[in-house]
Amino acid sequence: MTLQLTPDQVAFLQGPMSMNIGAMGRDGWPCVCRAHGCVVARDRRSLTVWLSAQRGKNILDALDAGSAVTLVVSRPATHATLQLKAGSATRVAVSAAHKLASARCVAAFGAELDALNYGTQMSALVNAALPADHLVGLRLTPEVVFDQTPGPQSGKVLAGTLRTRT
Amino acid sequence: MNIPLESLRPCLDGAMPAVVATSAPDGTPNVAYVSQVHFVDARHVALSFQFFSKTRENVLAHPYAEVQVIEPGSFRHFRLRVQYLRTETAGPLFEYMRAQLAGIAAKTGMDKVFVLRGADVYRVLDIENVDPQLPPAPPLPDALLALRRAFDHLGACDDLALLADRALAALTHGFGIRHALLAMLDAKLDATPGAPGSALYTLASQGYPVSGVGAEVALGEGLIGVAAQEKIPVRINHRTPDYTYHAALRVADPVLPRIPLPVLANPHSQIAVPLVHGDRLLGVLYAESEQDAFFSHTDEDALVVYGRHLAALIDRIAALPDDEAAPGALPAATQSGAPLAVRYFAHDHSVFIDNDYLIKGVAGSILWALLNEHAAHGRHEFSNRELRRDPRLPLPDFADNLETRLILLQRRLAERCPDIALEKTGRGRFRLNLARPLALGAA
Repeated sequence: MTLQLTPDQVAFLQGPMSMNIGAMGRDGWPCVCRAHGCVVARDRRSLTVWLSAQRGKNILDALDAGSAVTLVVSRPATHATLQLKAGSATRVAVSAAHKLASARCVAAFGAELDALNYGTQMSALVNAALPADHLVGLRLTPEVVFDQTPGPQSGKVLAGTLRTRT
Repeated sequence: MNIPLESLRPCLDGAMPAVVATSAPDGTPNVAYVSQVHFVDARHVALSFQFFSKTRENVLAHPYAEVQVIEPGSFRHFRLRVQYLRTETAGPLFEYMRAQLAGIAAKTGMDKVFVLRGADVYRVLDIENVDPQLPPAPPLPDALLALRRAFDHLGACDDLALLADRALAALTHGFGIRHALLAMLDAKLDATPGAPGSALYTLASQGYPVSGVGAEVALGEGLIGVAAQEKIPVRINHRTPDYTYHAALRVADPVLPRIPLPVLANPHSQIAVPLVHGDRLLGVLYAESEQDAFFSHTDEDALVVYGRHLAALIDRIAALPDDEAAPGALPAATQSGAPLAVRYFAHDHSVFIDNDYLIKGVAGSILWALLNEHAAHGRHEFSNRELRRDPRLPLPDFADNLETRLILLQRRLAERCPDIALEKTGRGRFRLNLARPLALGAA
């Protein structure tokens, strides 16, 4: 039976988040890329995360080589952070609805940074850096969810089978 | 590396959180946010080690990682391929990162959570510009031009008191700095610089309601004390409630009367730069602002150069010969009014006037010697040379210390007891002016 995300976790993942996806490259180096948002499936057992085909070449290559995948999602305003790990991810087509959803995620993230005074016009910079074109969709089925909010509880397994400690 | 690490310094000020990707021995990837990626040199960065985490476990087993940093003014991302080398838990790098983390933690509301356990040093092997299509951030203000303007204002100067004041005023002309102070190292009466108990004392300040001249900072404590102890510049870009990094810290001996440092209650940016000449620490230049991120890394570089120049000028002035000829004796000023009760405490050389604390240490012992000379022999005219030879005075080795103590004493008297005044009459010569009679008493 696969892990089912809680409604709170789903709401969190679809909020104004900073997202990064990581994998292990075929040359043995870990790699990371900023993601452009995500959407959780209705059954809460998988999610689709978007990243730029250009910026995410390293991740896509690592996944093609069979790497496991990790997604770290953090809310700038609170630093509440989740890390989701899966053994693999599969590429999925990016629909127009996906592009709209990605743009909403990116805009919400930028607005959050603006509200936190990260600099003038940060949201404009974020939107320009993370456009919704040339996206790749990756579907992953989380096997473990970790609380990675800074503090003594960081690394706590929230759901899933503990294979590794964050 | 195609991209010099130095060009990424705006990304390495903690303005935007970075992430680090690592992998476990079984290949499982891990990504974690990291508060601080600190520029060490052209080939190395240091990451803050705050928690025992999967990241740490991974790099100890498999020391290869990828760090993603963000340029604040453009949101361009850069990826650094790095190799973990070592962890430092003390020393200049650790202390700098600890101070800067306090600012980052406060800015992000994590001041109770972020505690630096170590500075993890990584070798940078490659840098990738993830967003080559994006324009770079607008250039920072030209710190070199600011430095040049500051030097222009500083000019040539053969008087230490004037130099101290000009050095602070020039910061306003050059860098727009409105709040600053100059603290000199107090080579303790019986201790070497850096020994426990050493401290710095404020010689001049600018932009505060009170001058705070004479206020002390213990070596190693607070931003000023850390900069002095480690002989490094320390810069905090955000307001921090962490008292450890407030400049206004405990004096060397908290049971003694103290003169408060005149610093801002809630500075949003702070920088402390050591005044080093050769390998000798003379003091610390401290500046602060009510604005976040007021000082950039280029300002830090420029102020380090400014500090070294200032130290060289101080050293040069101290080496200038005293005037040979004594000035023509003037008639003593008429004394009137009730006698001033001057009390001297030999154990710390502190002087109280009418029960109000005035000064202690070397400056206190100088004043006591001058007043006793006047009481015994009616003298008004004095020279630095005789003070240096006076066995009653526990003077440190460095000649500039005597001159700075005299300036300190002159300024404290002017603020707290204008009835006793020291008037400079030439290089290495000064006059004691008394407007009221004295009643001397030693405890």
